[in-house]
Amino acid sequence: MTDPIIIDMGIVALTGALATIGGAAEDLESDVGSQSNPNSQVQLAAQMDFPHRIFNKAISGEPPAYGLWCASSAVVAAVLLESMSVFFALAIGSLVGAILLGMFSVTAHMGRTASQSRFKQPLYMDMVIGHVPAIMAHGYVAVFCIISFSYIMNTIMGHPFPLPLLALFWGVTAGAIGSSTGDVHYGAEREFQNQPFGCGLNASFSGNIVRKGEVGLRNGMDNVWACAKFGGPVTGLALGLTVFLDNWRSTIFTGDNAEWFAIIAGLIIVVVLILLNRIVELNGRKAYGPYKDEEEGGATA
Amino acid sequence: MSAVEGGPAGGGISATNVAILGIVGGLVGIYLASILNDITATTYFSFFGGIGAILAGVWGADAVRRVCSYGLGTGVPSIGMVALGMGIVAAIFGLALCYVINIPVVLGPIIAFIVAAIIGLIMGTMANKILNMNIPIMERCMVEIAGAGCLVMIALCVTISGTLVFESHVATDITILTSVVQTGFIALIFIGGAMIILHPFNACLGPDESQDRTLYVGVEKGGIIMALSGVASLMVLGVIPAALTIVIGLLIWIVYFTKFINLTKRDAHKVIGTGLLPTEEELQ
Repeated sequence: MTDPIIIDMGIVALTGALATIGGAAEDLESDVGSQSNPNSQVQLAAQMDFPHRIFNKAISGEPPAYGLWCASSAVVAAVLLESMSVFFALAIGSLVGAILLGMFSVTAHMGRTASQSRFKQPLYMDMVIGHVPAIMAHGYVAVFCIISFSYIMNTIMGHPFPLPLLALFWGVTAGAIGSSTGDVHYGAEREFQNQPFGCGLNASFSGNIVRKGEVGLRNGMDNVWACAKFGGPVTGLALGLTVFLDNWRSTIFTGDNAEWFAIIAGLIIVVVLILLNRIVELNGRKAYGPYKDEEEGGATA
Repeated sequence: MSAVEGGPAGGGISATNVAILGIVGGLVGIYLASILNDITATTYFSFFGGIGAILAGVWGADAVRRVCSYGLGTGVPSIGMVALGMGIVAAIFGLALCYVINIPVVLGPIIAFIVAAIIGLIMGTMANKILNMNIPIMERCMVEIAGAGCLVMIALCVTISGTLVFESHVATDITILTSVVQTGFIALIFIGGAMIILHPFNACLGPDESQDRTLYVGVEKGGIIMALSGVASLMVLGVIPAALTIVIGLLIWIVYFTKFINLTKRDAHKVIGTGLLPTEEELQ
């Protein structure tokens, strides 16, 4: 007979895999719509006389927004679970979450663009029609993955919280990780890729984002294409590791004092991650150093 | 981000009138749902809770709009989540207190509202005096957002459970504890209620923001959250009360989404199907 720990580890791996895909989709969704970190420069661009065709949406910060999509999807799934199979309940629940995301995206983009009329930023309706389905599609994958691993934690791992509450917490976590990890790739690099890498953002460049694409004018689709190469996967890795390591440490130990071993393992993981982060930061500083003026070989201001 | 010009926000409806609409509308919605359900011994009138939540939410959205027009960009969600955290704590406190000290449940929303206002005042004073944010209307707006948040939470609780009773000695009774807290639907109420209040200004942020357009977003988002609460109430109240809440919520959404689109066309520089960017000459 198979050792139960092997099945438990398989379930832990499954939650990690779902979180990895969900995290990547979450970040890419926010890149299509320029939510969170890159949003301030997209918002500023029109005000600095740089009108653009980049989708501008902000939905009250990515963590609360993802909390809402996931909690709503989980509520619908929890109601449908009374009379439906798990797979269909989660799929239909996620669809409702994705539609909700689409509804909020439309008001966010149209509202912000209309509030910039004195800067003559037009509201292009083809952008709304073109971008919102892509936002909803990425959002669907993200929400489906997040509520799926929340469901696994609730029913198979025996987490005491009900499904909507777990989905809310993991939605907020996914939004926070996407906002702080992957979005920086778009906000700091993709928006300013005409500047030398690592030069920092001079105040006089505020709002002067890249507005022309490889072909034609740059839009959200061009940005998600670029961010899918690094920002998206790295967000997926971060959320996947968070979910995997957290579930691993609470599953691997059995017997007496298992909870204490889990707490100690958690502390060790946190210390190791802090040390690794510090090493990465030091290497980055060594490689790129402080900001240099033009005559010293730095960026033009 | 400081995409907004700092200064007081203008608008057609005065802050006091919106506050009266929010407080009276919110409380009337809560009481109509609860009392009519009690009198008729049905749960058909739970949708009044959703309408109360929308009115209270619009008041909260207007308060967010006024405080955040002082240059808070990314601070919009932060300030709102603090106030709504206070709102939900006060809401649960007010409703649970009626059960604990055995007083009529109709006093619950009023106790909760007063507690939320007091916590909001303390938080607003701390923000201005200790954190030195120095926003002239900070105290008042924190009281308003916390109060509005508290009313939205209670109203959505009533929409799902159809009652104001927090806990009962009779195990089979539908209470807020069994139908909203233990099922986890409180997650939707908290974050959905928060988004009714936070999203409108965040969605319409910019120097040419206008009050009517922002508040229409609040009503429209309130309609969606009301419909979702109706879906949650399917598990608690049954098909007919849930369907009423869902249909009325969606109707409100359709009407106010249309109004929002019309105001967007009024306010935007120009709405075009597609096109190139404005030229240098056009920008002058």
